[in-house]
Amino acid sequence: MSSRAAYAAAADELASRVLRALRGAGGAALVAPHLDSSPDALAALAAVRVIGADTFTPHILTGAPFHAADAAAVARAFEEFPVPGSGPSARPDERTAAWRDWATAQLLARTRGYVGNPVATVPPEAGDDLTDTTDWQRWSVRMAQLAPLATPCLDGPVRDAARGAALPLSRGLTRSVLRRDFPTAVRLLRWLALLRHDGIALPVDPEPVLEHVRLLGGASPRTALDLAVAAHLLGDGTHAGTTNTRGTNARSTNGNGTDPDNRADSDTSAGAGTGTGTTPHLPTEAQA
Amino acid sequence: MTISAPVATAARAMADRALSWLHAHRALGALPPGTTEELTDPDGVYKPLGESTLAASVILRDGMAGPGQLAAAQSLMDFTWLQLRKGDMLYERQLRHTLMTDPLEMYAHFVRCGYRHAELDRLLAHRARLRSVHSVELLPNRRLAVANAARIAGLDHGEDFGALARTTWLGATPEPWAINWITAYAMTHTVFHLTDWGGRPEGLPAPLTSYVRTWLPVWIDIWREVQQWDLVAELLIVGASLSEPYCNPDDWEAMAALQHEDGLVPCDGDPVDDDPARRFKEHQHTTVVAAVAGSIALARAARAQ
Repeated sequence: MSSRAAYAAAADELASRVLRALRGAGGAALVAPHLDSSPDALAALAAVRVIGADTFTPHILTGAPFHAADAAAVARAFEEFPVPGSGPSARPDERTAAWRDWATAQLLARTRGYVGNPVATVPPEAGDDLTDTTDWQRWSVRMAQLAPLATPCLDGPVRDAARGAALPLSRGLTRSVLRRDFPTAVRLLRWLALLRHDGIALPVDPEPVLEHVRLLGGASPRTALDLAVAAHLLGDGTHAGTTNTRGTNARSTNGNGTDPDNRADSDTSAGAGTGTGTTPHLPTEAQA
Repeated sequence: MTISAPVATAARAMADRALSWLHAHRALGALPPGTTEELTDPDGVYKPLGESTLAASVILRDGMAGPGQLAAAQSLMDFTWLQLRKGDMLYERQLRHTLMTDPLEMYAHFVRCGYRHAELDRLLAHRARLRSVHSVELLPNRRLAVANAARIAGLDHGEDFGALARTTWLGATPEPWAINWITAYAMTHTVFHLTDWGGRPEGLPAPLTSYVRTWLPVWIDIWREVQQWDLVAELLIVGASLSEPYCNPDDWEAMAALQHEDGLVPCDGDPVDDDPARRFKEHQHTTVVAAVAGSIALARAARAQ
C-alpha cells in the first residue's frame, strides 16, 4: 500500500526528471526509467498522472524527443487509475482532474510512434465554472490546479477562459504571493506567462513576480518545474535553464544545458510537429 | 459598481451603532485633569480625541444620519471641543511648537463643522507663510494629511496635490503583491486625504483610482483572512471613496456582523476585554473607522441617486 508520502516523493522524482530534461540533459527517455527505477510501482504510476501534461514539457518547449516508450508508460498510468467523471454532475475536483487528463491525452495522442490511445480525448463539458470569475479567489485556485494546461500547444476552453481573465488571474497571483502560497502563485504565473506569450496585456508585470517567487518560493521540484515553464514562456531562457537548482536535486547540466536564445520560439513549433499524447491527472494539493 | 442595498444597510448599521458607542463612552476618552499643551503622550488620549472628532465631523458633513444620530454627533464634537478648551489648547500647542502639524490637523475637523478659534486662525495664517513650515520633512502621505487639513482650514499652503500624490507609495502604482501592513495603512491615508474622506472622490487622480480598483479586492481579501479588522475597515473607506465606489456586499456584511451589540467594532480577531477602559482604548480607533466608512458609503449611495 503506497503511502501519501510515497506518492508525493514519486511526483517530485518525476518532476525532477522533467526539469533536468527541460534544462537540456536531454534526449533520454523520461517516464519509462522513472517507472523502472521506482521502489513503489503504484506511486510511480500515480506520479505520471499527477505530473500529467507537464511530462511533455521538454518536448513542447525545447523540441526534445518524446519517446514511444514514454508514451506507453503514460498510457499505463491511465490504465492503472480510472479517469474520473467529468459530466455536469461531477464534483469540481473531478472536473479539474478531467481537464488535466484531457490535456495529457491530447499530448499522448500526438506522440509520434505511439500507437494505441486508451484515453478519450474528448474534452470535458465546458461549464460556467471555467468562465465565471465572480469568485475570483476560488476560480484562480482552480486555474492554478489546471496549470499543466498552461502550455503553448494546447488550445481549448480552459485556455480560452484564461485569455479572457487576465485580471482575475492577476488578482489570484497577487493574493497567492501575499499569502505566501508560492506553489499556487507560480502556477498562476504560468497562465499569465502564457497570456503574455499570446500578446495579451496584463495588469501585473510578470517578470518581477517570477524573480520574487524564484527567490522565496521554496525548493519543491514541482514548483521549480512550474517556474521553469513560466520563465520559458516569458522568454527568460537563461533562467529557465537555471531555475532553483538547489531544490531539485538535479545535477547541473550546464555545458550545453542552457539555451538562452529563442526558446520561446520553439514553443510553437515543437508542439505542432511531433505528436505526443496523453492525459493528466488530479492535483494532489488543494490550495485554499 | 454602485452601492447596493445590502451595503447601504450594513453601512447604516455600522455608522449608527459606532457613533452611539463613541458618544456613550466619550468620557473614557477625556484628557486627564491638568493636561497642558505639553503632552507627554500625544498618542494616548489626545490623538484618539481627534479621531472621534473626525468621525463626528464626517457624519455631520455627510448628513446621512437620522436626527438622533446627528444630535449625538454634534454632542460628541461639543465634548471634544470642550476637552480642547474650545480650541485654546490647540492654539497654545501650535504657539509653542510652530512646526508641529497636529494642532492644524485636529483643528480642521472642527472647522469642517463651523467651529473656529480666531487666535488660532491668525497663528495658522502666519505659520502658513513660513518656508520652514513647508520644508519640514514628512512622509508623503503625512504631507497630504497636512495639505488637506490646511485646505479645509482655508489656508493656502500652495500645495500641488497631484505632485504630492505622485510621491506616495500609491503614486508609484507599485507591485500590488509587495505591500505590507504598515504600507497598506499609508495607502489608505493617501486616499483619505486626497479625497478628503470620500468628500471629493475626484481628488484621487484617475490612474490611481484605476490602480486601487484593480487591487483593493485582493487586499481586502487577505486582511480579512487574518482578521485585521481595523485595516479592513480602512480599506472599506478607500473603496467607498473612489469615483466609482468599490463596495462588495460580502465585505460590508462581514464587517457589520462583527460589530458588538453596543456598537464597538473589534480591531482584530483577538477576544475583546470586558473592562470598559480597555475596550475603549483598544477598539476606539476601529469603531471610529467603521463610523466613517458607513457614513461615506451612505453619502455616496445618496449622491448616486
